[in-house]
Amino acid sequence: MLEEAPNAVVSGEAIVTAAKYLAAAFCMGIGAIGPALGEGLAAAHALDGMARQPEAQGALLRTMVLGQAITESTGIYSLLVAIVLLFVV
Amino acid sequence: MIEHLGEKAILVFRIGGLEMSFDVVAMAMSWIVILLLVGLALFLRRGLRQDIEEKPTRVQAMLDALMDLLQGQLTSSFASERLARGMLPFISTLFLFVLFSNWLSVIPYMESPTMDLNVTFSLALLVLVMSHILAVRMKGARRYLKGFLEPYAFMLPLNIVGEISKPLSHAFRLFGNVFAGATLVAVVSTVLHPAVIPVPLNAFYGLLMGAIQAFVFAMLAVAYINVAVEG
Repeated sequence: MLEEAPNAVVSGEAIVTAAKYLAAAFCMGIGAIGPALGEGLAAAHALDGMARQPEAQGALLRTMVLGQAITESTGIYSLLVAIVLLFVV
Repeated sequence: MIEHLGEKAILVFRIGGLEMSFDVVAMAMSWIVILLLVGLALFLRRGLRQDIEEKPTRVQAMLDALMDLLQGQLTSSFASERLARGMLPFISTLFLFVLFSNWLSVIPYMESPTMDLNVTFSLALLVLVMSHILAVRMKGARRYLKGFLEPYAFMLPLNIVGEISKPLSHAFRLFGNVFAGATLVAVVSTVLHPAVIPVPLNAFYGLLMGAIQAFVFAMLAVAYINVAVEG
């Protein structure tokens, strides 16, 4: 038997807090998909190139790390939005 | 530990009608990094040979190899060798400062100064100002201003937004990475036993990611300066 507790009133503040945390979690979880795929792709292709031409490893590695850093920007932006949601809003 | 993540110790000064606020922790940590670097430089300088005939010491051999590595990296990334030689002190100082800042978080009770957005932003603005001054000096004011109208004149707002977004993403990238690493370490340290797990985690986020991020920061500075000077 489910019985309603006498003072189970959900306040608006609690809803806002819950929405805040949920939004931050979704923001980070969905926002991390893109950079993860992109960075994996960059690493895979760099590895391809390195296997084909081992002598170009240094240049490939540098370009790969730079490219991954730029790919990561979108992930960093979603992290920032999550931080703003958690601490500022 | 985790409760203090968002908090900052702010010191507010009022001089006349002017109000200035200082982030005490970030400033103190930046000064620690600066003193560490200066002390290291003074200490390592004693190991340098005074005479070309003298046999190189171990310190000298190590520094030579490091400088060769830095110089090789920069000459292969910059457009001209002259520019690379001129930019070597600036870029390597940036790299060393960011590297030591990131590594500082490994020491208990220490916090990376790069965890503060103001620090990374000032570094990124430094790179921005440097790249534009160099562009004006190397291309001349006319060609520099004309560069904003390339490839078409109606692209002007787009080019300006592009210039503004450069230091933004440059600063946020470093800050975001360091902050995320610190947050993760703090969360894991509070949830799991603080003696065992955080050690490899600190090693990964503090040492490895710190070194990679410092490298990326320096390399992006090189790329931005290069684009500004070239384009």
